[in-house]
Amino acid sequence: MRLPPLNVNVWQRGVPLLHEPLLTLPMVGLIALALIGMTLASIRLCTGLGYFSGMTDVYAWGIWKTFNVMTLTALGSGGLGVGMAAWVFNRAKLHIVMRTAILTSLILYTTGLVGILIDIGRPWNFYNILLPWRWNEHSAMFEIMVCMPVYAFIFLAFENLPTVLGRLSYTGDAAMRERIHRWMPRLRSIYPYMLAGAYLLPIMHQSSLGALMLAAGPKVHPLWQSQFLPLLYVFQAGICGLAFVIFTLLASCSYWHRPLDRDVLSELGRAMGLLTLVWAVIRIADIAVRGQITEALSLDFYSILFLCEFLLTLVPAVVLLAPEARSDPRTLFNMTMLIGISGMAYRFIPTTVAYRPGARTYYFPSVAELFIAMGLISIAIIAYLIAVKRFAVLPAPLSEWYETVHDLEPDHKGVAQHGHPTHH
Amino acid sequence: MSLVSRRTALKVLAGGGLGSLATGQSAQASEALPTPPADAVAMLFDSTICTGCKACVVACTDANNLPPDTKMSGGIWQMPLDLNSETKNIIKLCQDPAKPENFSFVKHQCMHCLDPACVSACPFHALNKGAKGVVAWDGSLCIGCRYCEVACPFEVPKFEWDRFNPKIVKCEFCNHRLKEGFEPGCTSVCPTGAVVFGKRDDLLTRAKARITDHPGRYFESRVYGEKDAGGTQVLYLSGAPFKSIGLPDVPQYSLAGYATSVHKFLYKWMLIPAAVYGLLVAIMRRRWKVHQVTAAREEAETGLKEQL
Repeated sequence: MRLPPLNVNVWQRGVPLLHEPLLTLPMVGLIALALIGMTLASIRLCTGLGYFSGMTDVYAWGIWKTFNVMTLTALGSGGLGVGMAAWVFNRAKLHIVMRTAILTSLILYTTGLVGILIDIGRPWNFYNILLPWRWNEHSAMFEIMVCMPVYAFIFLAFENLPTVLGRLSYTGDAAMRERIHRWMPRLRSIYPYMLAGAYLLPIMHQSSLGALMLAAGPKVHPLWQSQFLPLLYVFQAGICGLAFVIFTLLASCSYWHRPLDRDVLSELGRAMGLLTLVWAVIRIADIAVRGQITEALSLDFYSILFLCEFLLTLVPAVVLLAPEARSDPRTLFNMTMLIGISGMAYRFIPTTVAYRPGARTYYFPSVAELFIAMGLISIAIIAYLIAVKRFAVLPAPLSEWYETVHDLEPDHKGVAQHGHPTHH
Repeated sequence: MSLVSRRTALKVLAGGGLGSLATGQSAQASEALPTPPADAVAMLFDSTICTGCKACVVACTDANNLPPDTKMSGGIWQMPLDLNSETKNIIKLCQDPAKPENFSFVKHQCMHCLDPACVSACPFHALNKGAKGVVAWDGSLCIGCRYCEVACPFEVPKFEWDRFNPKIVKCEFCNHRLKEGFEPGCTSVCPTGAVVFGKRDDLLTRAKARITDHPGRYFESRVYGEKDAGGTQVLYLSGAPFKSIGLPDVPQYSLAGYATSVHKFLYKWMLIPAAVYGLLVAIMRRRWKVHQVTAAREEAETGLKEQL
């Protein structure tokens, strides 16, 4: 991939890619994939799961849960990873990439939740969530079923609201601007409380995703089965979230020829690397305490799988300790890919490859199952493309902001002087 | 399989530091086993007595109004290959491939664990352990997430994969028959007494007496289900190794306890989440104050509103 030249302190403001057409050839392909997937999904909801998936009673969970939810919401944890780094750990320069983080989070969580809806057999009984006396509060599945939708549709939606209001304050009429102007202070007054919740909830349900596999006990290979799964899963979510935001920024800026900001990217790479090192220490300590070191080095299939997964996480983290490596976009991109892929592998393996180790039967998704999964991913990409082309998400230099806004609304300066919000 | 005991894990979690990890290994045998309900019913299956007549399979289908699974026989007779959404009870022939004269019949159905993993996993108590310790399924609560299938170490719950409104199908100890004072379909028809019905305490004593009366007959001279997976309400005696007749090598403590201990600790009275939220709010309020000052200054300098 050709990466654009590197400049210092060039990301100053989120700017929409207004001049990019929405309907492109890739977009048509994505829409086709999304339509195929969702058509199959609608038929699936009216019939049985068996016709549309390779799942069996032995492998009762397929890729909709293990990949679209378990793995992709880890990538969608940028809102947690970048948000905690920027706000809680006060890495102020990361604020500029917050919109990218919370947008990818909202999109991946929403498509993940649609995946759960397609996957569960009796979705109409979900109303039980409203009846507290029917809750099994000790179940990790219950925690996820409550926490994930609340996080996505309340907290992530709230975090993304200023982006939408910012656009509306341009495209809307005077009454709309007046309303936004009146509502912004109220929104701001609850902002710190909402953000605190937006970090607590993903810590809760991302660790619960790890706790899910505790119930499978000896059905998960001992290199992965551990009571540290919740802790390791939530750390891995933070890591994957950071990795996915770095990947998204590098890929988008190179595709749409926007300059890169060395300081911000280096800071993201540092946070991701350090978090990965902490994760690696916990992972190894856990293996050692459970007396699984010999198992880990036995070089059978699972041992090799573990070593690949672990080394592909650890090596890039060590490489990223060097500031030169972090500020070179190519190295950062490669290391991010390694961390992201091995992190996804860690989140995917306990529910699939390491599930029922040594079994003679196996699970492989059916064609329809794969098309539905791809449909969900296509919807995610479509949503991302529309969002960054029409909303001020991807970071750019101020000069680009003035050019874009000038084309959109020639009299914007007048609006700003009257004290109306220009672009939130 | 060695799973770290829940006490160890909690110690480590509570300790927080990695230093306490070094003292990790603690004996799993010391874990308290779940106590069975006082009126716990049970089945005792003895593979050295079973002749494989499958009367219990037919009786189960009958008692539970299930359609006979005739897929394999081309619609001629009942011939399930395994427990499935039409079969709650099955007799299987287990043969040593090297020595075919070494064979054994085994009966599989729900084990009715004392502390069932499926019940602890189920988000809405659709699976519950009710009167007499019977593990039953309530369709009005089930969302069809199939977490019970993932959780069950014996792979008992089955799902109706081809139905629009799928049910979880598993042996419910003929709950409806117990209520009317009858014993379960399967035990009521067994001609040889290979499977018998009774109170768990009584059957455990009877099983142990058989072991004492016939030294060397039974594998490991022990009752499978007394402590396995924390104890079950279906007890097994076998001449062949338990694993060879499809009884998995599960830990001698409650798997549900292992699965839920972390959650029970983290979410007790919601204290830890509340404390974390309080801490986050305290930090965010400080950050927000500073942020507002910075944003106002930048707006004054550039004329641009901040982008949240």
